[in-house]
Order: sequence, then C-alpha cells, then structure tokens
Amino acid sequence: MSAAIPVTQPEVEGSASIMRVDNLTVGYVRGDETDNIVVWEADFTLEPGAILGLAGESGCGKSTTALAAIGYRSPGAHVLSGSSRLGELDLLKLSTSQLRSIWGKRVAYVAQSAVGALNPAIPIGRQLAQPLVTHLGLHGQELRARQLELLEAVGLPDPPTALARYPFQFSGGQQQRIAIAIALSCKPEVLLLDEPTTGLDVTTQARISTLLRSLVSETGVAALYVSHDLALLGKVADRLAVMYAGEIVEIGAAADVSRRPRHPYTQALIAAIPNMDKPRNVAVIPGRPPSRVVLDACSFAPRCSYATDHTRENHPELLEVAPGHRARCFRVEEIAARPLAGSVLPIREAESEPLLDVIDVTCDYRSGRTTKTVLHSVSVTLRTGETLGIVGESGSGKSTLLRAVAGLHVPTSGSIRLRGEELAPRAVKRSRLVRRELQIVFQNPDSSLNPRHTVADLLRRPIRLFREDVSHRGEKDAMIELLEAVKLPRNMLGRYPSELSGGQKQRVAIARAFAARPSVLLCDEVTSALDVSVQATILELLADLSAHFGAAVMFVSHDLAVVRTITTRALVMKDGEVCEEAEIERLFDDPQHPYTRELLAAIPEPLVAAGAG
Amino acid sequence: MSSGAVVEPGVLDPEPLRPIEEEEEARPPSAWRTILGSLEGRIGLVFGAIMLGIIAFGRFFTPYSPTELGVGPQATGPSADHFLGTDNLGRDVFSRFLVGGDTIVLVPLAAVTVAFLVGGGLGMLGAYSRGRTDGLITRLFDLLLTLPPLLLVLVIIAGLGTSKVVLVLTVALVFVPRVGRIVRGATQAVVTSDFIAAAQARGERTGSILAREVLPNIAAPAIADFALRITYGVIFVATLNFLGLGAQPPKPDWGLMVAESRNFLSVAPWATLGPAFGIAALSISFNMIADALTRHLTREAARGIVPV
Repeated sequence: MSAAIPVTQPEVEGSASIMRVDNLTVGYVRGDETDNIVVWEADFTLEPGAILGLAGESGCGKSTTALAAIGYRSPGAHVLSGSSRLGELDLLKLSTSQLRSIWGKRVAYVAQSAVGALNPAIPIGRQLAQPLVTHLGLHGQELRARQLELLEAVGLPDPPTALARYPFQFSGGQQQRIAIAIALSCKPEVLLLDEPTTGLDVTTQARISTLLRSLVSETGVAALYVSHDLALLGKVADRLAVMYAGEIVEIGAAADVSRRPRHPYTQALIAAIPNMDKPRNVAVIPGRPPSRVVLDACSFAPRCSYATDHTRENHPELLEVAPGHRARCFRVEEIAARPLAGSVLPIREAESEPLLDVIDVTCDYRSGRTTKTVLHSVSVTLRTGETLGIVGESGSGKSTLLRAVAGLHVPTSGSIRLRGEELAPRAVKRSRLVRRELQIVFQNPDSSLNPRHTVADLLRRPIRLFREDVSHRGEKDAMIELLEAVKLPRNMLGRYPSELSGGQKQRVAIARAFAARPSVLLCDEVTSALDVSVQATILELLADLSAHFGAAVMFVSHDLAVVRTITTRALVMKDGEVCEEAEIERLFDDPQHPYTRELLAAIPEPLVAAGAG
Repeated sequence: MSSGAVVEPGVLDPEPLRPIEEEEEARPPSAWRTILGSLEGRIGLVFGAIMLGIIAFGRFFTPYSPTELGVGPQATGPSADHFLGTDNLGRDVFSRFLVGGDTIVLVPLAAVTVAFLVGGGLGMLGAYSRGRTDGLITRLFDLLLTLPPLLLVLVIIAGLGTSKVVLVLTVALVFVPRVGRIVRGATQAVVTSDFIAAAQARGERTGSILAREVLPNIAAPAIADFALRITYGVIFVATLNFLGLGAQPPKPDWGLMVAESRNFLSVAPWATLGPAFGIAALSISFNMIADALTRHLTREAARGIVPV
C-alpha cells in the first residue's frame, strides 16, 4: 500500500468528466448574520455513464452539496466558495434565468418523493411533454414518439394509455419511474438523484435501482446518487463518497469503499446495517453528528473508537490510501485491518404458553360505499416472552393487524384473546388491566408524541393511568427511572419533542410504552423513520428492555434484515394474508413461499466491514 | 484507547446531551415579547390601551352629564366649554364619547367567547368523531352560514326585542359556524396524528383527548382567530348600534351617536367624527395586535412549540 500523502491539488480524474466540482463550500446565514458552514470544500467529478454515490446520515450535508453543485440555492443557503463546471460553464456563477435553460435540459433532478414531484392535476403525458416542448421544441408525432420511447425505457406498462392517466392512477414505484422518464426526457448530461428509492417497498426499491443502473449505462448520463443507504449505493454506484459533518470523509471506487472502508465512520455505518450474515448483531455508533463543519479537530473524533488527543485537536486532510481511494483520517494505516465488532442481542427462549391469540381476524376499510378488505382471516399466536416479527410491504395489512390488537381498528370478524380471554374490539371498552398490558410504539415519533407536551407530560400520563404502585409524589422518580432505562439524561423531562433528535424522540416513545409495564409490546415500524446508526441503538434498547421487563414483542417491519436481527420467529404477509410463518433461521435459510424468496432476493447483499472476512 | 481496540458498544453515552451553548437554540420568545417587538404590535397595544382606558375610566372624567339635554347650545362645533362641541339635542359630545364605548367592547368579547365555546367545541367534536356526527355538525354550520348576518340579527331582535344578552347571543350565533369551521379544519390536521391513536389505545375518553391532546395543538390558529374575530365583533356591534338594533337612545353609544348626529355633520362634525374615530381606533388597534399575535403563533407553530 502506498504511503499516505496529503492530496493538496484536486486529483485529475481524466479529462472525460462531465461535471467537476471543486472546493464547494456552503453556509447558511444565521440569525446574527454570520455563516453556519454546512459543506466544506467538497471536490468530486461526475463521469459519463457512471454513478457517484453520496452517502451519510441525515444532516451530513449530502443533499445540500448535491443541490449546490447544480447551482440550486436553497432558501438561506449560499455558496461561499468553489466552482462547479459543466463543460465550459461554472454553474455557481450563472444567474437563475441562465440556470433555468440548463436545468431540465442539461442537468436533471429526481426528487425523493414522486408523489410530491408530479402535479396531481395534470395527466402524465402533458407533464412528460413539458420539458420536450420547452427545451427541444418537439411537437406532433415526434413528441408522441419520444414520450412513448421514454415510458418504455423506464418500464411502464402500456405507454400509450399511460399518457392520458393521472399520477394517482399509478403506484408509488410507477410514479417514480415516470419522474425518472421526465428527468431523462431531454437527454441530460448530468442526473441528480436525491434519495430516489427511499420510502418505496424493498422489492420496488430493488427494481428501481436496477432500472437506474441500466439507464445510466445506456444513456451515458453522469449521475450523482444521494442516499443514506450505504448498502444500496455499494451495489448501484461506480464510485462512492461518504459525507460526515459537511465534509467528504471517504471517496473511492464503490466496491473499495463499501467492502474495504478505511474511514472509521464508513466502517461504523456499514457495521450498523443489520446484516444477514451476522444475525442478532448490532453495532451502535455512539453520539450524533455535529450540525456543522468542524475545522479544528477531526469531526468524527467524539464518536470514534480510534480517537486520540492528536485527532481531537487537528483536522485531517483527505489522504490517498490506495489508488483512487481517499480517506480523511489520521490513522488509516492502523485502522485498515481492524474489524468492528458489535454486540450480540440476547436470544430469549420463548415459553410455549400462548399469551396473545389472534384468531381469524378480518379487517375492512370502508370509504363511502366501497369496502376494502385489508386483512383476510389472519391468525397469529404470540407466546410469552417471544419477539415475533411481522414482515410485509405496504398494503400487506401488517399495521392494520397491529392496530386491531391495540384496539384501534375494529375487526369485521374474528377474535383477539389475551391469555385466553376475549378482548373487546375497541380499546376504550377494554379493562384498565388489559390496556396496561398491551402497549404500542408507532413508526414516527414526530407523530406519536404530542408536540405540545413535555417529556414529563408524556411519561406522566401512562404512569398515572396504569401504575397503581406509584403515588403522585413518586411520579417524578418513576419518570427518571424510565429515562434512565432508555438511556436518556434526566434533564430531558422539561423538554418538548421538537427539542430532541429523532432517536431521542423514539426513546421517549419507548419509555412511554414501558411506563405501563406491558406484557405485550406492539412495535409498528419503529426504526424505519430513523438513520441506520440510530436504528441499531433502538434495536438494542428494545431487546434489552423487553428482556428486562419480560414483555413479548410483536415487531412489524418491512425490513427483513432488521427482523432477522431482533426476532426469533416471523410471519410474512402479503395482501392481507399470511404467506409463511416460521422460526427465524428457517425462514431465512429455507424460505418456502415464493414471495418470501422474492423479498429475500431484494435485499442488497450484506457489506462486510474491514478485515472481518 | 489503544490503537486497534475493538469497538465496545455502550462504553460511551449513546446520545450525549448537546452542549447548550453550542447547538441548543434558545427557547423562542414569548407571545408577549414578540408583540412588543414588532412595530405594529406596539402601535396596536398603545392605541388599544388608550381606547380601553377611555372606555373603562372615561365615565369618571365627564365634564357634563352625558345624557342631560341642553347643557349647551344645539349642534355646535368644538368650543372652550364643549371640547368636541354639542349634538342636536344640546348634549355634550365629549362626555357622551367618554362613556359610549362600553357596549362595543363588552358585547363582542362575550359573543366571541360564547362562539368559541359552542362553535369551537362542535368543530373539534366533529373533526374528531368524523362520520355521522361530523356530517351533522358541518350541515348545521353550512345552514347558519347561508343566513345573511344582518338579516339573522334583525329577525331575532325583532322577535325577542333587544337587550345585551340577546345581542351577545345573536352575535355569537353569527360567529359560531365561522369559528367552528376554522377549529374543525385545524382539528382535522391533528386527529390523524399517532398521539391521538396512542391516547385511544390508553383508553382515554373523548373529552380528555380533545382537551389534553387536541386543544394545545390547535391553540395557535384558535387564538389568532379569536383576536381577529374580536375586531369583526367590534365593527359588527357598532353597525347594529348604528342601525338601532343594539343600544337604544338615550344611552350614549358610539354607533348610535354616529347614527343620530350624521344629519348635522356640517355644523357639529365631532358629534359624528368623535365616536366614528373611537370605533376605528379600537378595531384597528385590536387588528394590529391580532396580526402581530398571528405572526408569532404561525412562526412558533412551524417550529412545533407554542408557549402561549
């Protein structure tokens, strides 16, 4: 391996690059007129027919970097220095009207949510025609031919009829395909993809990213693919840049960065991804990223297990660690061969005694005169002390099943029994004891925590309702005990949810559920709104607490790897029916149902942290 | 830590608190401070305070009896004896001005409060329960909205006669559907949140959910609307008094004074302009306070915190 030398001049990556970004520094104006720098001296190039992946946790500046690179000025943000060259032009020096003639034509953008990006009131044919008319002046037969060609290229079924339909008549994945077709309509030189598959189902996500990969190769567009999903980028991108605190901390060939990561942050991110090959293993990244660029120290030092006094007081440069592979770390040489070990979640032996029985439950949603059945006579048994996974894509009915158990959705038929005792369909009709025993944690803590209640208000309510052993005077101690259980400091009690990070909010939601000392904890996609690094801490916490309090867990998730990590038995659901139910090892090693196999195939292959192989 | 140590999770505090001086944003300023901080808020408060002062304490400083006829000549302009002149019956306009503002403050205040209790309650209940209850409440609102306000008031007062209680209730009736729709809309945005589902799963009763979970979240638009609604109320009640549907002669009242004296505008201008100015100043200053408050609340609502 070559000795690490500082790279002072931007590396020349061949003259073939279409877009070259140098020294891009972006700040947000603060209240006191000074700048909060959020992106520091980003350098990268985009080559034709290749994808550069840009990865990192939320708040690391990856979207800001990508948008600034194409000249987009988000409100409050401004470019402090740098250049972004597209051919002879510097996009950062152009006026908005000049940029308008470039955006859509030479530089195209696909947003995270196609639902938000497509106009719901205009047929997709017209939305697709707009850039073709504006930029290329196409009309008549020529226009129609190009429209059909594009829809065919993105794999939309029956293009001629599709042109006249409205966005809502398509599924989420199809809408994203249409958005991609619009982006590619004028044969752009640069394609910016901002989390294009986030929020889609796993199988859809796999199909869209495969489509993007082949479209980029076929059209020769230079793509910048922003995503928080390192596993996905490792598979779909050619080169990969990892951002942390507004800086590129590692950049290189995607295979190198994802399989032989050299920066401790990249290693930690990869280790945090639930890994099928290392079941029940969780690796936590302690702490959280700074919200701005840190220039007087290594920005990752506070969370880094390799930190020394030197790294805490000096700022590392981006060093070449292998040909075409650079990392911003003082200790790359020492770190190279060190595997990151996580901790292994305890496996609790489920007792054979059934705790909760769901028997032939059918659930409908009624809107007007139409009735849609989302759950077709589903039966599930949860045993004492077990963690049961319920896997499925959106629309599979997995959340409805959970809501029916929680007494939030009244089943059309069937019964739900706790220790053999029939439960009333609505929570309000159930006894206090039953309500205490069944606690639910929702997907998004922004929605499940009342923004007008402090943490103390949030925790006090279940204590007052359900904990007869706690007197009014003892409430505060009970609340502090709960915060300590979820590893939050006690001074959080006076805070509002908006003053907490996403991970902290979800801990409060978990603390609220455990406040009642439940025997069944219902978890509805509790980690899917969180960053992968936070997800690991939440999984660890859930496993610890449910073991400690002896609660059985019903864990609903769309993410098979997460289910593999935390559960002991799982059922796979599709279209309101159970496809397969098995012990977790059996389900993954020997899937019986074709749909289970399809789900398993859609998971990006696990990345292995440095040296672990 | 020695080089190459294996990462041991749980050694560090998983999410240490942010140092306060570094990243913690200061608690947002209170509503009071924001209103004082904006120019229109300050102007509104100063003028509003002056007008309320006049209305509350003016009665102790009247130079003449406000209702006594012939304390001066009939219908004159300002003079040394009569600061704002006299009206067509020889009453002192300044004395009448000092005592004539109470109805147009108290009636709207009471009416808007009643409208919020009834309309707001119904709106919240409708949005929360959805289905048939919501349909019924919405139809009721729609029905009330189709009736022209002045005609509605005219019919009720023609039937029941006029008194402060009747006035308060009829003005409230006019405002109920308008308030109700705003509260219902705000509630609809809240009831889909999971914290409502969490409360239902805890087995909370409807009243408790509305009061504890919903109300704090719709306080911002509700308070903003309350403040604005008072302004409308002032103008509406002044109009009723002007039309003779509210305060009755010989009671000194700004709206009534404008109606009585407008025929003598050229000879005794202040008998009309004085009370007209009073009504305008009161409603404009309330409006400015409402605007400053609305701006504060919408800004705080965007941040997710409303320390009202």
